[in-house]
Amino acid sequence: MYIFNPLSPGRRVALCLAVAGIHSIAATTAAQQASSIPADLVIRNATVMTASHGTIEHGSVWVHAGKIAGVGASVNAPSSATVVDGTGMWLTPGIIDPHSHSALDSDVNEATSPVTPSMHMIDAFDNRSADLYRALAGGVTTELLLHGSANMIGGQAVVIKNKFGLDRDAMLFPNAPGSIKFASGENPKRVYGGRDQLPSTRMGNFEVMRTSFEDAKHYMAEWDAYNTKVAKGDKDTVPPKRDLKLEALADVLRGKLYVQIHCYRADEFLTEEAIAREYGYKVRAFHHALEMYKVADKIAADQTAIATFADWWGYKDEARDAIPWNAVISMRKGVKVALKSDSDDHIRRLNQEAGKMVRYGGATEDEAIRMVTLNPAWIIGVDDRTGSIDVGKDADLVLWNHDPLSTFARAQKVYIDGDLFFDASLPGLGTTHFSGVMHDGGGFGSDDEIEEDGQ
Amino acid sequence: MMSSLFSRFPARTTLPVILSGAGHLSTGAVEGSAVAFPNSLLRLPALSFIGIALALVATTTQLPAQQPQVIALTGGKLLTVSHGTIEDGVLVMADGKIVAVGESGKVKIPSSAKVVDAKGMTIYPGLIDPESNFGLTEISADQMTNDLVERSDEIMPHMHVYDAFHSETELIPVARLNGITNAVVAPASEDTIPGQDIFIQMYGKDRDQMIMGRDIALAMNYGSEQRRRGSGGRGGGGSGRPDYPSTRMGLITQLRQTFLDVQDYEAHRDAAAKKDDKTFKRDLKMEALIPYLQGERPVVIGVYEGYDVETIMALAQEFHLKVILNHVTHTQEILDKIASYHVPVIVGSIYDFPRADQRFDAVYTLPAELAKRGVKIAISSADAGGPVSSHSARNLPYAAGFAVAYGLPYDEALKAITLNVAEMFGFADRLGSLDVGKMANVVVANGDPLDVRTDVKQVYIQGVPVPMEDRQTRLRDEYSK
Repeated sequence: MYIFNPLSPGRRVALCLAVAGIHSIAATTAAQQASSIPADLVIRNATVMTASHGTIEHGSVWVHAGKIAGVGASVNAPSSATVVDGTGMWLTPGIIDPHSHSALDSDVNEATSPVTPSMHMIDAFDNRSADLYRALAGGVTTELLLHGSANMIGGQAVVIKNKFGLDRDAMLFPNAPGSIKFASGENPKRVYGGRDQLPSTRMGNFEVMRTSFEDAKHYMAEWDAYNTKVAKGDKDTVPPKRDLKLEALADVLRGKLYVQIHCYRADEFLTEEAIAREYGYKVRAFHHALEMYKVADKIAADQTAIATFADWWGYKDEARDAIPWNAVISMRKGVKVALKSDSDDHIRRLNQEAGKMVRYGGATEDEAIRMVTLNPAWIIGVDDRTGSIDVGKDADLVLWNHDPLSTFARAQKVYIDGDLFFDASLPGLGTTHFSGVMHDGGGFGSDDEIEEDGQ
Repeated sequence: MMSSLFSRFPARTTLPVILSGAGHLSTGAVEGSAVAFPNSLLRLPALSFIGIALALVATTTQLPAQQPQVIALTGGKLLTVSHGTIEDGVLVMADGKIVAVGESGKVKIPSSAKVVDAKGMTIYPGLIDPESNFGLTEISADQMTNDLVERSDEIMPHMHVYDAFHSETELIPVARLNGITNAVVAPASEDTIPGQDIFIQMYGKDRDQMIMGRDIALAMNYGSEQRRRGSGGRGGGGSGRPDYPSTRMGLITQLRQTFLDVQDYEAHRDAAAKKDDKTFKRDLKMEALIPYLQGERPVVIGVYEGYDVETIMALAQEFHLKVILNHVTHTQEILDKIASYHVPVIVGSIYDFPRADQRFDAVYTLPAELAKRGVKIAISSADAGGPVSSHSARNLPYAAGFAVAYGLPYDEALKAITLNVAEMFGFADRLGSLDVGKMANVVVANGDPLDVRTDVKQVYIQGVPVPMEDRQTRLRDEYSK
């Protein structure tokens, strides 16, 4: 249950205890409600930054039925294809933000308990938020909408394709794996410590987590015992009460949810990995991860990625040792590195944040662009579908008027699944599918923007 | 209520650093010899961990390592700001000043000069941030490190930023490494009149060396943020009930009354002086405002909405204030009117969000739209959301570059973070361009100063090559071994 993608119920996501899901969303293929998608599209003669296999000068990309059908110096598209001239322009995969709180009206923390794994971000998702539009105009095609960091275990994320203007369900990334947000460090201890509750220290933080997993193990054991009885033919046995919170935690222990952890300090990465080993799950990515450069070799061995800032620092104590070389140093030591926004502001120019990595540590253009495309796709678990310009992948593409790693680039056209969602040359908003009224987001969409009084 | 405490808003700490030693580019260079720029910062020599520890306990900072020498930068591309670009140029610095600027071969290089080969480099004047909180904040969320604004009253012109300015702040070397050599430091914006600004040099032995101008401008703000509605405003801690002034009407009435009070005070003071009346009691708040009501110094008015601009400008004109407008984020409908005021404008943050019904680039295009109308603009380093956090001040050139992406002519963008700022605040005789006689605040970078990919290789402040290191480079070097 808790699948957001009933389109294909057989996939790997979060099926728990074989009970019908209460969160299933009617799956219309309404995604394709407004169809302006040409059967074949060719963007020709652009500087194609593939993110997976280098840059092709004067390259072309052929899109067929929403998928990339060809990429190279030339492509074998039919003559009927719609042609977009990319002369003097740059083409990249759609920008992917692995850490956004956009379009949630600040409903990102159910900060009434430090462990709230059954909170689902999708329930707060406002698909008409101006945040999404502004991100789209910055070339963002996929976002992982995460909980905030008030809670040690905040809840389950939602992955969207930024098809701004379509209805809510049509914006969900079909069959994306589920992710769950954990936090650590200052925020949980401040929120609960401020109320004289557990946790108020890092000791309390981690013990809250361990205790929760002990609860989940006990819950799983109760179900195992029940299922065993049923298997033995006991028709009278009463099933244990379903508990949404414990089911979600059980999914963590079963490896059915990608664990995304808000974590700043070097010591805490090590503790988080130790707890993950103790309870048998994997950490998909540390988010923020500003001190990763201190222990990157160890974390590389755990195959945990990071989603970090380019150059933010100093906004709180655990961001004191942040350095702008963190991403490249960590990458050189074998950690998969993505840049993320955690901000409705920075999400609009993640390409520039990637450009900074050329300066801070000497990332190659390929490495830099990968930090905002293929690597965040891996963190979300959709790298087999998007994040690079490769045949067979979703045609999520951005055409820029200038080198996207420079300060001077503007997204000209943004395609998602081969459909044009933003075109800067259009009058008005530049949107192609949106009509009606946008909603203003609340706040700045950051993890650290926590309501002081915990509401 | 939303607290800004944990957003990336302003703050201050006490982590001193040493700025001499490893990585100092120009050490050991002999007369007439060329000094190569390091290819990659990652290859700079690292301080040992012990070195870092010592640095952290020592209490010196921003210390000029040496006296200004005669230095000639040769072969670089000079962006003079005042008189165009010189593709293959020479710049000579002596006694802390620029003594020659011109094309290679046409400038005489003194025999005493240390010659630095800057071929392939771009050379431009030090950048000037028109609104910062350097020295008033260190760790944003740590209130003990914040001296941003006195919130007990709305009218606080007698708050002097120089009284709180912590010259050893780590924020300064971090920004300096990206070519920011000067800044206006202003109190935060919760009050209508939070205090008076300073103008700083980003390098110096102590506070006195770094403050180039005290009380150079009055900070003033008008709009929804300054109302005392009981929520406590940014930073929290409010009483829960509204206090006067809780509306824009209250704000304006209070300001107008204050200005009238100052005029009355001034009349009484002058009368007392004539009579040599020793019993006249000085009022520091009133005294603080006199120079501004006499139009002697600029008043920087932070205001976001178009209708608020019209309201506050009417008041400013009533009292003949010398205005610099700041922010003007949501003024797209009255840009011609703003131009008609003939006042300079600081645009910041260029990253502020447009309204929900506006095109995504409504704010990105503001600098271009204002410049097109003949308005003298500056661009500040502020992040989106109002109050600046000078942790990000090193990104000042990128804000200017972003304005270029959205239509501002390149030369105007560079001016908006150099010469225009110097002119607005009265430092153009010393700063803002590569001109003979000006202070030798000069930046050498390996590319376009407004591009995020460009690496600043050397910063000179008053002709002294500043050590290109800070706490962050030391952490980098320690952990990339």
